[in-house]
Amino acid sequence: MSDSTATVAAPAAFAVSKKRLRLLGLTLDDAIKAFFGGNALVSVVVLALITIFLFREGFGFFAQNRQNLRIYRQAGLEYVDFIRAQTDDHTALTRYLSDLRVRQIAFLQQEKKLSLADANAALAAFDAFADQFGSAIDPLRAIVSDLTEQATAIKTKFIVAGDKEEERRQLLAVGKTAEAAAVKIDAVNFSAELKPLLETRTAYLAANRELAQKLAAALDAAPKMPAPEIEARLDRFKDLSRTYIAGFPAIEKNLMTWDYTKPVPAAQSFTAFVFGREWLTASFWQDWYGVIPLLVGSVLVSFVALLIAVPFGVGAAVYVNQIASATEQKFIKPCIEFISAIPSVVLGFFGIAILGQTLRAVSQQSWLSWVPGFPYSERLNVLTAGCLLALLAVPTIFTLAEDALNNVPRAFKEASFALGASRLQTIVKIIVPASLSGIISAVLLGLGRVIGETMVVLLCAGNRIAIPDFSAGLGVITQPVHTMTGIIAQEMGEVVRGSIHYRALFVVGLLLFFLSLLINYAAQGIVRRYRISIG
Amino acid sequence: MVTSAPILMDTLPKPAVRPPTAVAPAAATFSVPNVPADTTLIDIEQVDFFYGATQALADINLKIDDKKVTAFIGPSGCGKSTLLRCLNRMNDLIDGTRVAKGTIKIRGVNIYQPDVDVIELRKRVGMVFQKSNPFPKSIYENITYGLRLQGRTNKADLDAIVEKSLRGAALWDEVKDRLNTSGLGLSGGQQQRLCIARAIAVEPEVILMDEPCSALDPVATAKVEELIQSLREKFTIVIVTHNMQQAARCSDRTAFFYMGRLIEYADTRNIFTNPANPQTEAYVSGRFG
Ligand SMILES: Nc1ncnc2c1ncn2[C@@H]1O[C@H](COP(=O)(O)OP(=O)(O)OP(=O)(O)O)[C@@H](O)[C@H]1O
Ligand SMILES: [Mg+2]
Repeated sequence: MSDSTATVAAPAAFAVSKKRLRLLGLTLDDAIKAFFGGNALVSVVVLALITIFLFREGFGFFAQNRQNLRIYRQAGLEYVDFIRAQTDDHTALTRYLSDLRVRQIAFLQQEKKLSLADANAALAAFDAFADQFGSAIDPLRAIVSDLTEQATAIKTKFIVAGDKEEERRQLLAVGKTAEAAAVKIDAVNFSAELKPLLETRTAYLAANRELAQKLAAALDAAPKMPAPEIEARLDRFKDLSRTYIAGFPAIEKNLMTWDYTKPVPAAQSFTAFVFGREWLTASFWQDWYGVIPLLVGSVLVSFVALLIAVPFGVGAAVYVNQIASATEQKFIKPCIEFISAIPSVVLGFFGIAILGQTLRAVSQQSWLSWVPGFPYSERLNVLTAGCLLALLAVPTIFTLAEDALNNVPRAFKEASFALGASRLQTIVKIIVPASLSGIISAVLLGLGRVIGETMVVLLCAGNRIAIPDFSAGLGVITQPVHTMTGIIAQEMGEVVRGSIHYRALFVVGLLLFFLSLLINYAAQGIVRRYRISIG
Repeated sequence: MVTSAPILMDTLPKPAVRPPTAVAPAAATFSVPNVPADTTLIDIEQVDFFYGATQALADINLKIDDKKVTAFIGPSGCGKSTLLRCLNRMNDLIDGTRVAKGTIKIRGVNIYQPDVDVIELRKRVGMVFQKSNPFPKSIYENITYGLRLQGRTNKADLDAIVEKSLRGAALWDEVKDRLNTSGLGLSGGQQQRLCIARAIAVEPEVILMDEPCSALDPVATAKVEELIQSLREKFTIVIVTHNMQQAARCSDRTAFFYMGRLIEYADTRNIFTNPANPQTEAYVSGRFG
């Protein structure tokens, strides 16, 4: 509209008010908003429900575990375990002796060229010594086995009483007062029950003194070893044994001051879970719910997986983004992305049937024996599972790292080339540093992918619930482990709902949930910083 | 692929000591289409250039003088950037590009010969881009980047060159106290001067500038133009610009392109006051383009 017309005619009405179409009292805008808002709300609510459910099911665990630890003390199991630990340590020492014997035999056969029979004969003195050392523990063993029976009996009584109480409670709940009254509950009088157990103290003390004397005598009379190298080992054995004997007074003191009424602090039910080194369920003696073996298993497997997946994923991303021709890109990208379409159970199957077998065969090649942990005989272990998980992590890392590389402005690359940089220099000094935070977050999300993966580890990690032996150095990765995800999948189906075991699995799930949350949060935080740095 | 230790472009002669000019340049009153050979640095002959199947340049003939400022002007899409990027072979980075015909010689060496080390070429022919593009690194690292690529690590040397380059780019006083802060924290105009400092730090012979001021405000533009005036003593500068005044103010010679062809090439003053070609006339007077 030109100025001249405006001065002549009055301006048309400034028609900008909305025409509203209403449906159920909602305008179209409102309806659209409600639709999308509703979808967002549903996901938030679902997440909240899952969290609440996990917490509700999981938190009961700590109370139950405290009760579990309390009965361990009250029924005297703890008391017995003091002595049992002492006998177990002795067993470890005798194992050391057997190892010494093996070394001597080997030495006599190889260096002294004795026949096996002659070698065995030459070790008569040593065998006598080993025998004397080994049999010294027998009286203590007998005590432990007696006490074990007694303590188990007390625990059983307690459990029976508990079951009866539960029965009565249920009867009362449905209003059957008469039946409820008829349920006879034998309350366990721990003080009385423990009396015989504690009365063995004098016998134990005597046996212990004798054991100390016998061991010391045996050590003093130890025969000479055929070689200085083995002699040094014997000296080491003597040192270990003397330390062992020196520990006796402390054990005695523990037993003397042991008190079944000492309360179990609430925090202990938590620390026993978080720092517990044993996951032992359905045992006749005592159940332990320590998450460390599972956590270590998960971390080890994920670590191996990332160690393999990071170079492959990031390397492939750099190649595709910076070096490959258009045709290569068109081929490589879908190939790598297709890996994530393989169902993990199929991968697990492949791991059991082929990869585990092949890796073991490779490990048994004599020219590879220098590799830590090689040769090994467990087909399913950290390495097998790690290799397969790496395969699952590669697409995640590749795709996200490639995105990050793609986000590096082309101008940086051109500027670098214009200053006379080669392609490699540009990649190493400009492109990768500029996208580093994106790459790191790609790796973190890859870690999240790996640590939450269940099927592959369940099938291929070997499922041995124990902290692997880290003294093997890097060879630790050839040992079987169990994982947090694996244990949930394996045991959830067979536990009684509401039992301590059931709840323990939920707490493991909670821990996993928090780990993933933390990893995702870290990855997002890094990405946020990365956006700013590019400007 | 990886080019390791730079193979010197030994076929490319070092700049000769400049012979004293017989005639004072300012005294020239008429355009000389073919300047004497000793002042020609870059000699473009009959160049055809293709992006895949599209021809972007046709039969370009152009001689660029040593230690002069040459401006490329012309309407959008006429091929100015393309020709500029041919001079340091930046077009090699784009798949499917080729110089189909003709030669581009710098000091008599055809830079499209197969045995030319492109990396060495780019050290001799620096470039400043339309949009300032400092690396996401500190100011100091931005300037030493090219030097470190050449394997120079002596801290004292680097410090000296950083100062010299920043002074050369008229940026020293503004940034001397924050050399270790990110180059991205500077203003747009400062960033562009940082990019110029980065380019001159490796002491090229030629600096190519592709619309270096198009993203800058008038004050920053004036600073960069001043800078170009001071740089002409040491460097041969080729600048692409859409700003007629800028071309008139800064350059010694101007080339006008239209649809992939060189229409007219002459002393700047002639192009703007007395163009030989009616298309040039129309363009510089703002009647089309
Ligand atoms: N990467 C490319 N692929 C294909 N064609 C291209 C490419 N870059 C430029 N062209 C074409 O080549 C021709 C010349 O482009 P060029 O960028 O050299 O123009 P210009 O003169 O610099 O224009 P402007 O002033 O807009 O920067 C244009 O027709 C353009 O479409
Ligand atoms: Mg351009």
